Amino acid sequence: MDEILRSQQGTTRFGTKKQISILFFISIFCLIAFLLAIANGSYQISFTELFAGSGQNIQQIVITEIRLPRVLLSCLVGASLGMSGAVLQGLFRNPLADPGLIGVSAGAALGASIAIVITPAFIAESSLGVFVLPISGVLGASFVIALLFALTKGFGYQGITYLLLVGIAVNAIVGVAIGVLTYISTDSELRTLTFWTMGSFGGINWSLLIPASIVITLSIVLLIPISRQLDLVQLGEIEAYRLGVDVKKLKVRIILCCASCVGASVALSGMIGFVGLIVPHLARLIGGVSHRYLLPASALLGACIMVSADLLARVIIQPAELPIGLITSAIGSPFFLWLIFKMKKNDY
Amino acid sequence: MTIKSESMSLEIDGGEIVNDINIEVFPGKVLALIGPNGAGKSTILKILSGDIKPTSGVVKYNDINISNIPFFDRAHIRGVMSQSQTIAFDFSVLEIIEMGWLHSDHDYYTSFYPDVLKQIIEDCELQHLADRKFNTLSGGEQKRVHFARVLLQLWIPEGDIHPRFMLLDEPLANLDIYYELKMLEIIKKHLSKNIGVLLILHDLNTASKFADNIVLMKNGTIVKNGSTVEVLTESILSETYETKIKVNDTSPKITYL
Repeated sequence: MDEILRSQQGTTRFGTKKQISILFFISIFCLIAFLLAIANGSYQISFTELFAGSGQNIQQIVITEIRLPRVLLSCLVGASLGMSGAVLQGLFRNPLADPGLIGVSAGAALGASIAIVITPAFIAESSLGVFVLPISGVLGASFVIALLFALTKGFGYQGITYLLLVGIAVNAIVGVAIGVLTYISTDSELRTLTFWTMGSFGGINWSLLIPASIVITLSIVLLIPISRQLDLVQLGEIEAYRLGVDVKKLKVRIILCCASCVGASVALSGMIGFVGLIVPHLARLIGGVSHRYLLPASALLGACIMVSADLLARVIIQPAELPIGLITSAIGSPFFLWLIFKMKKNDY
Repeated sequence: MTIKSESMSLEIDGGEIVNDINIEVFPGKVLALIGPNGAGKSTILKILSGDIKPTSGVVKYNDINISNIPFFDRAHIRGVMSQSQTIAFDFSVLEIIEMGWLHSDHDYYTSFYPDVLKQIIEDCELQHLADRKFNTLSGGEQKRVHFARVLLQLWIPEGDIHPRFMLLDEPLANLDIYYELKMLEIIKKHLSKNIGVLLILHDLNTASKFADNIVLMKNGTIVKNGSTVEVLTESILSETYETKIKVNDTSPKITYL
């Protein structure tokens, strides 16, 4: 008892001492993955060259213009998917919530692909052009979340089944729409169907990365402080109100932030499935369920896993690349099934 | 300095759930809400908590209309315990109790926190459960944990003269006799700390022993509101419960025929 309370005294903003050290270790892994991902690929660069900056000109270009933006993007996308998975699971009080499964990612993909087809050339080529993609992604994601919100009467009492069913419908509609768009569009800007359904971090450049990274970082920073409120929501919405949480405001904040970071992520990297589902679950297994730990842990672990998965996608069949979504789904879908069986056993 | 409802009514889809309710909870006193099933007791508790807005009438905390009090400030005035929901993730008992702490942003109060927490856990005899997963506890144990959470929520800092209120919906359900008495004892202990209590009870004998005042309800209206002696009479009870009820001078005070 005293031991438990003593561990309590060490409690900080991000959890107990044990949870802090877990966060620290995940950060280290994240850093290692980051460096490995920059050094490895079709074009090998040794670590000494990486740190000394003594490489030849072509190596520098590979690093600064290709690898670095790519690895940064995978970091950001992993963090935003992990984070929004954790936050949505907390809000819906259900471990099956995931931006991909409930159709939010699909909405973002549709928004982005429509924008690519219909944006007039003079806007696309102007300095504002780089904002078109993330903004349309955010709008697409927001549209789906608004639809979910309306259909479930403010995410009320219909529960997760309803959300997942809507997600299936939205995913199907978007699949058709993007398929048609890629088929009829002669615009070379519109990437392949595989890009949207399986995702890829290839083809990114700094001018596209910077606006999206601002959106993603901002949303993540705005989501971190809601951890205590999310904890209280676990007691039930009414209990959270009774303990002083303005749940309506909280929902609006979560919706806006999740739509923003998922929208911006999907616009640049396509739909990468199951990361938002697995990452928070792993984080809970390692260090506990309290959100002050879970939110930063999910962001870091998401970044770590995404960078590693992208590295794997690049090196596994060199010099070609596997679609990143193939890897994440290969790991994620059996995990999804396992979660469902586990939930059934617990008789939710 | 009370929690009060003034001619409060609630209609849902044209049907009256409760009608013209005037009750007042005083600090240091226990008000018991009793009545047959479906009398509207829980509804009243929900309206007084601020969960539901009444169709007409007002709820006032310390003479301020509750709609003018932000959610966060309400949490400092009253704690509520009702039927608990299942919790999706594996929170520990300690984590659940901690959710009642409202002062995590307050450095000075935070220095008291470990002692306050320890005291409450000991009072509620939850030491051996603190490390367990909440979802693995029995219904009665979960109730005791939520009660501890409410106690933590209503912790009054030294020198704070504002009263606090506990609104408890059948707090004794699922408890064994030992913990039933224990919980009543803890509630009693808190009365002297400037805390007022409203509780919904089923057992008339507990109500007669424990409450200062009783509100007897039926079909959404108040049948009788007064002191224990005034309300617990044979004629009123027998009529309200449609059962022959006898009130004795000796314990047990109330028997059913």
